[in-house]
Amino acid sequence: MGELVLKNVEKIYRPNRKAPVHAVKTLNLTVKPGEITALLGSSGCGKTSILRMIAGFEDVSSGTITMDGKPIHTLPPVGRNVAMAFETYSLYPPLTNGENISFALKAQKLGVGESDWRVKAIAEMLEISDILDKYPSSVSGGQQQRVSLGRALVRDASLYLLDEPMGQLEPRLRAVLRGRIKHYLRENNCTTILVTHDQTEANALADRIAVMEGGVLQQYATPAELKVRPANLFTGTFIGEPPMNVFFADVAVNAKNVTFKIDGGVTLDYPAAALSKDVNRLLSSHDRVGIGIRPHALHVEKGSIKGKVVACQWLGDQTHVAVEVAGRTVVSIAHDMVKAKTGSNIQLNVAASDLHLFNPVTGNAIAHGGDLA
Amino acid sequence: MIQLALKSISKSFGAFNVFEDLNLQAQAGEIVVIFGGSGTGKTILLRLIAGVQEPTSGSIEIEGNDVADIAPEHRNVGMAFQNFALFPHMSAAENIATPLIAQRAGASAVKAGVDKVARLLKIDHVLDHAPRELSNGQKQRTALARALAAEPRILLLDDPLRNVDAKLRFEMRIELPRLLRESGATVLYVTQDYKEAMALGDRIAVLASGKFVQIASPEDIYMKPANLSVASLFGDPSINTAETAVEVTGKIISVRLGGVQVTIDSAYKSYIGRAVVFGVRAESVALAGPKSAGLAATVMAVTPLNERTVLLLKSEGGWEFLASLPSSSPNIPKPGANVKATFQSSGTHLFDKTSGERLHG
Repeated sequence: MGELVLKNVEKIYRPNRKAPVHAVKTLNLTVKPGEITALLGSSGCGKTSILRMIAGFEDVSSGTITMDGKPIHTLPPVGRNVAMAFETYSLYPPLTNGENISFALKAQKLGVGESDWRVKAIAEMLEISDILDKYPSSVSGGQQQRVSLGRALVRDASLYLLDEPMGQLEPRLRAVLRGRIKHYLRENNCTTILVTHDQTEANALADRIAVMEGGVLQQYATPAELKVRPANLFTGTFIGEPPMNVFFADVAVNAKNVTFKIDGGVTLDYPAAALSKDVNRLLSSHDRVGIGIRPHALHVEKGSIKGKVVACQWLGDQTHVAVEVAGRTVVSIAHDMVKAKTGSNIQLNVAASDLHLFNPVTGNAIAHGGDLA
Repeated sequence: MIQLALKSISKSFGAFNVFEDLNLQAQAGEIVVIFGGSGTGKTILLRLIAGVQEPTSGSIEIEGNDVADIAPEHRNVGMAFQNFALFPHMSAAENIATPLIAQRAGASAVKAGVDKVARLLKIDHVLDHAPRELSNGQKQRTALARALAAEPRILLLDDPLRNVDAKLRFEMRIELPRLLRESGATVLYVTQDYKEAMALGDRIAVLASGKFVQIASPEDIYMKPANLSVASLFGDPSINTAETAVEVTGKIISVRLGGVQVTIDSAYKSYIGRAVVFGVRAESVALAGPKSAGLAATVMAVTPLNERTVLLLKSEGGWEFLASLPSSSPNIPKPGANVKATFQSSGTHLFDKTSGERLHG
């Protein structure tokens, strides 16, 4: 329920040795009260270091972490009022699953009735009511993970830290539990940080996602913004499954047209009016750009991108069409069933409003959908 | 032409029956996916075909000939494994060459065979690397190359994309069908990933509790699942279900979802009184404003899933279900919104409550 602010947080491991590791670089991040933030990145991006500094398992090298304005980075872990679900579950083996969950409530000194009622409610939500009397070692990994989640969520805490909380869940349950947990966090106004390498999880649960790479925060935005307005080529290609198609192209601008000559011989031509004046002006100072096109924005219809079908795969609620264009494979996705024969010629089209343009050298975004980035 | 036939295959270990009476025919060049959860015996089935284990009863025919008495190395079967199983002390090229050497091919034929398949799999630049110097993706390509090198008539692939990351899995999923077609082999492809099964298989054989519960095209498996378990295994999110019974009021046929009556296709009228499981796929749930017709429900949470948005809903009778809409749809309801839900018939099914069999409407 608190507001968490990380200000200029640095983490350097082994600072005085020959090869210090700069795991987190000048991180500024605010998680608003009741907000769900995901720290998303591949292994080594610094997300776990951040989590451990917030929980108090690791000191900050410099910078401050405050909760509702009060510094917490100087407090021992127990003084921070943080509830945590661990990736490795860390359940107490001699306690039953139910006792593991209620143990978290001991410090809150609730009446016996209330404690029981809360454990029962959280167990029902996570569908573990029938295993509360069993011991952790006698239930599956997915069930242990739900017990660990229950132990964190049942508490009244200022902040909830969930480390890869749903990786082991059975596919059948996963979608429903994501919905229920998100509903629960919102109803109880829980300020939450979710640490994950799985963008599906982050997209499903988080209000905002902090994309980390190389210890540096790349972008902190809502899932929709990350899709529509990626700050740079890294976020653009990292977020989205399958990833954005990326091309490099020579660009030519005149009063009437903007022309992208993609390496390998494909030309995209748009009326100048399809892009804003600012973008036209900016592009006239560029010879080359990176172009990102999301698979869903690349449509199988009459257009200037011509190629041969490599694969056409219908997955029930979507069709993936892979097309060889100018010696490389691009992917188009449709929500309905598309039939295209492998080896046949096909045309693809993309609207100017779906183009993402990047500086080819720095990778920073120049324009999204015809407007300046 | 039928290239591979499994005829009434059973396999048991002592009193434990892995499977009983499996029958399957694969046409030359066909890709048949063997789909099932862990422990269903998928790998054992491949081992029987490869000849490293023997069926308890039944026969395996390759090109019409029973292969019971033919040793594994003479069956002309190639195999790749989920853990790659490369020989650590051999280079990638030596690994790929092993089936050719086993066939006593001459040195120049071995080299030509290795080079050809390595080019096809884009690993010709790492042929002299040892397995430990290869990335996971390259290891997996090397294992595939080894399986393909001797140009086998039958190719057995045991969950080959299991241990590679999501990006590479996607790339290989796109690339594999063409590769497999070019090899000309008849392929049995084992996986637990329904998307891989649908993307790669000409047909999918669903293995559950020791039986093929359905062998059909991806389209039929998804649109006409044989039973509730097949329906639940294919699709993300999983199909919504509710236990209910078929009722009739006048000419209206209905079921109850959370106690609330919902009209279903009158084609189900022959099942009046039957205890059933109602199933509707998340993408077949349509949502409209509270004044429209349909089942009244409240949006509990909105969880985006790639380019789709998944909504958790609770109906007025307390039935919890999921809807999945393209994220580009206009007016996606917000958490707390009251909506009316209707169910498109193409993704709506009834299953017998006891047997789980799909009832034909």
